[in-house]
Amino acid sequence: MRWLAALLVLLAAAAPRAELLDFSADEIARIVRHGPWPPTVAADPSNRVSGKQDAIGLGRALFFDARLSPDKAFACVSCHDPDKAWSDGRATSMGRTALPRNAPSLLDVRQRRWFGWDGGHDNLWSMSLRPILDAREIGGSTAGIADLVRTDRNLSACYARAFGREPGAVEAEALAIDAAKALAAFQETLTSPRTPFDDFRDALARGDKAEAAKLPVAAQRGVRLFVGRGNCAFCHLGPAFTNGEFHSIGIPFFVAGGADGGRHSGIRTLRESRLTLLGSWNDDPVRADGIATRHVDPQHRNFGEFRVPSLRMAARSAPYMHNGSLATLADVVRHYARFDPERLHGDGEAILKPLGLDDAEIDDLVAFLESLSAEPPPTDRRACG
Amino acid sequence: MRSAATSLVLLLASSHAIACEPPSLEPARRIDGAKHVVLFRSAPTPLPLNASFALDIAVCAKDGSAVATPKVDAWMPAHRHGMNYRPSLTETRKGLFRADGLLLHMPGRWEFVFEVAGERLTATHDID
Repeated sequence: MRWLAALLVLLAAAAPRAELLDFSADEIARIVRHGPWPPTVAADPSNRVSGKQDAIGLGRALFFDARLSPDKAFACVSCHDPDKAWSDGRATSMGRTALPRNAPSLLDVRQRRWFGWDGGHDNLWSMSLRPILDAREIGGSTAGIADLVRTDRNLSACYARAFGREPGAVEAEALAIDAAKALAAFQETLTSPRTPFDDFRDALARGDKAEAAKLPVAAQRGVRLFVGRGNCAFCHLGPAFTNGEFHSIGIPFFVAGGADGGRHSGIRTLRESRLTLLGSWNDDPVRADGIATRHVDPQHRNFGEFRVPSLRMAARSAPYMHNGSLATLADVVRHYARFDPERLHGDGEAILKPLGLDDAEIDDLVAFLESLSAEPPPTDRRACG
Repeated sequence: MRSAATSLVLLLASSHAIACEPPSLEPARRIDGAKHVVLFRSAPTPLPLNASFALDIAVCAKDGSAVATPKVDAWMPAHRHGMNYRPSLTETRKGLFRADGLLLHMPGRWEFVFEVAGERLTATHDID
């Protein structure tokens, strides 16, 4: 018995001591704004099958189906792997040819205002159709999508249940857009899990210091930097840790044969598209969600701007930035600590300045960013029906 | 809030009849310029961070002359950048306008800018 007591004392001494930093009321208020998680998310009014189980099942089946490509070589999952936070782990994706951008994670995609690194799409269903039709990627066609849904007995039955009509009675473009809306309904279910940060945040919100102290102290120092001197929450705000808008952060945008125009080209893509929230394929007759599209204002500074990504599950979606040029979270933090302001293209914007962090502070911010990830739930790969 | 309404009543009483129709802006913030007075309020109130909102704006000219449609914008002086959206203006009644499509995409201090017949009137707004 005595040896057991001695062992317990030794273990207690060796265990890391739970400690809560002396966060000020203002710091706590800033931290609490990054929750709660997960948020309540409404169905997408532009997509009449958003949130409907039959459509989710059809979308899930299509997501993993390489028959969308003419040679059965590519599916959505080729670049959005559930085991890699629905990204592909590559710096830039490889389709039928080398692609210029990193495949973004699909987690929490329902909460976005703009889709793609350049925001060339204002809704998830048009975004879902683009890579299927892009000759560099899946390389399919509206006729091919329609043919698959009409001729595969299981998909055909799923479609009929989801949309209330037989696919054979629907012309090819409308059927392909319906398929994209089913794909969107599936992707809307991809929500990142609660994380150690969320437990810490909720504990602070209810004044439970003992529970809050369970977050490692390095991560606590990191969150203090994040909401304080780092000013990271200017852009990485709210529960999703993003404002969903576009900024230049000094990452080079030159690609083979030219430059990636980022948001500048995204707005052009948006305005040339028939599949926006302002168009007739929007299932919401009021077009209420089209207000941002109606008022988006192209500006010279958009050139080289890219969408601010969420930081949730970032530890599992390396590499980082629109071109995947930063391999690790430490590389990302080091970029913000020491980047060259001359590389910014913000037309005189004064948001970003090198943070001048020392190595210990960089480690702390990385510890915080890692606390925004957790083990995801098992992936549901069931076929529809 | 009550002072804004009182100011509006005083403003209406002291100006020519055509200068400001009763705009039913309550509560509203007031900006007094050299030549114009602007009252404005957001819809919804309080205005949200990182989501679209509208501004209802009442404008009158101190000399009683007719008021042209104002221009409306917002920017962050400390960051030296504006919004990513250009609001659209519609006149809902004489002297009363609605600006749709504004969106403040960052927390911090913003400045609303109203340009009325060449006069620039500003008001700061802090948002968390």
